[in-house]
Amino acid sequence: MYKLIEHTNDRGTSKTILRLSDSTYIPYDEANTDYQAYLKWVAEGNTPDPAENT
Amino acid sequence: MAYGTVNADVIQTSTSGGILGAGDASAMKNRIINGNFVISQYNGSSSVNPTDNTCFIDRWKATIYPTASKFTVQQNAGSVTPPVGFTNYLGITSSSAYTSGSTDQYFLNQRIEGFNFADLGWGTANAKTVTLSFWVYSSLATTFGGSIINSAGNRAYPFSYTTTATNTWQQVSITIAGETTGTWGTTNNIGALVVFNLGSGSATAGTAGAWVSAERYTATGSTNLIATNGATLYLTGVQLEVGSSATGFEYRQYTTELCLCQRYFEQSYTYGKTAGSSTDTEAVVGNAAYATSTTVLDYGTTTFFKVQKRATPSIAFYQSNGTANIWGYSPLGNYTTVGQWINTNGFGFYTTVASGATTNRTYMVYGHFTASAEL
Repeated sequence: MYKLIEHTNDRGTSKTILRLSDSTYIPYDEANTDYQAYLKWVAEGNTPDPAENT
Repeated sequence: MAYGTVNADVIQTSTSGGILGAGDASAMKNRIINGNFVISQYNGSSSVNPTDNTCFIDRWKATIYPTASKFTVQQNAGSVTPPVGFTNYLGITSSSAYTSGSTDQYFLNQRIEGFNFADLGWGTANAKTVTLSFWVYSSLATTFGGSIINSAGNRAYPFSYTTTATNTWQQVSITIAGETTGTWGTTNNIGALVVFNLGSGSATAGTAGAWVSAERYTATGSTNLIATNGATLYLTGVQLEVGSSATGFEYRQYTTELCLCQRYFEQSYTYGKTAGSSTDTEAVVGNAAYATSTTVLDYGTTTFFKVQKRATPSIAFYQSNGTANIWGYSPLGNYTTVGQWINTNGFGFYTTVASGATTNRTYMVYGHFTASAEL
């Protein structure tokens, strides 16, 4: 299970993905194997929890 | 002698008289990182029950399908004397007598980054021959298997090796003709996987000593370690080098080896301490955050990594007492910390507190982190 994270400050908005099982923050980088696993999870029909922009 | 002219005799080693060069004198001879298992950031010398597709010792991953708990891994398991020239090895111990299903996958592997593999020219007509060598020690006198395989899993070279006596170190050398077809990574992706099989099923086995266009992790007819309860397999001195014969293991300075590993994983803990363990009496990462409101604290400075990462890493936070996802925000308390602005050089973070922050005031922040950019 994953949750999308968005945060806006004076530098702009940054986004990561929180893997809920171990509280790991995953970047949107296709070379990151955790992100690859996330994309595979989504391709299997799963949906992450939506972001709450803070 | 005219200016600009160099005369040189053949350079020889002082001990054996062997000629240097063609491997022995080159940098980056060994494409394997931590082949002597001297670096163990993840778990120190503790025995662990690895999970699928995770590193348990630097640069070495376990693939486990379909169920876990078939074997344990540990740096220097069993405390046997390593081969001469080595101080560490990796020990694998079977946890049960498991009969593998035909499609099961149980193996160790190192994923060599494409940047460290590209010069081999695999997938082209200029593919170079390589030699894989390593030391092995097992409670079983038998034939084990492994393979070299590309990341797509459609070009593989199964190999086998035999332990002729139980509980005795012996060196293995396997020469592999460079593969001229298939896709092999050449950048920061996977160049190739070097696989040591532990219990993969028959459908993942192929004929030893020949390239095959299929996903193969072991040699047909080889023994699965996890089929025997308590069986052990120890490895060290793993080296993959260009050429048709094995040369001496490429020892690297400790700092060099550690930095090579930290391109893929680093943590703020004392070396060898497991992420999430209590470090209340040890140093933690200190940083600063400023309050953008009475409830939101944003990072003030980036936390930089010791080594630039292969790719943007995944980040996890830990409080000094071991609690996951929490950092201390003095004097406000301990709060969930959110990883943001992550890149290959470092990361930022923010937190939301219940109330009480003073807007534009800076607060001290502290805790531990891990950063993983493993292949």
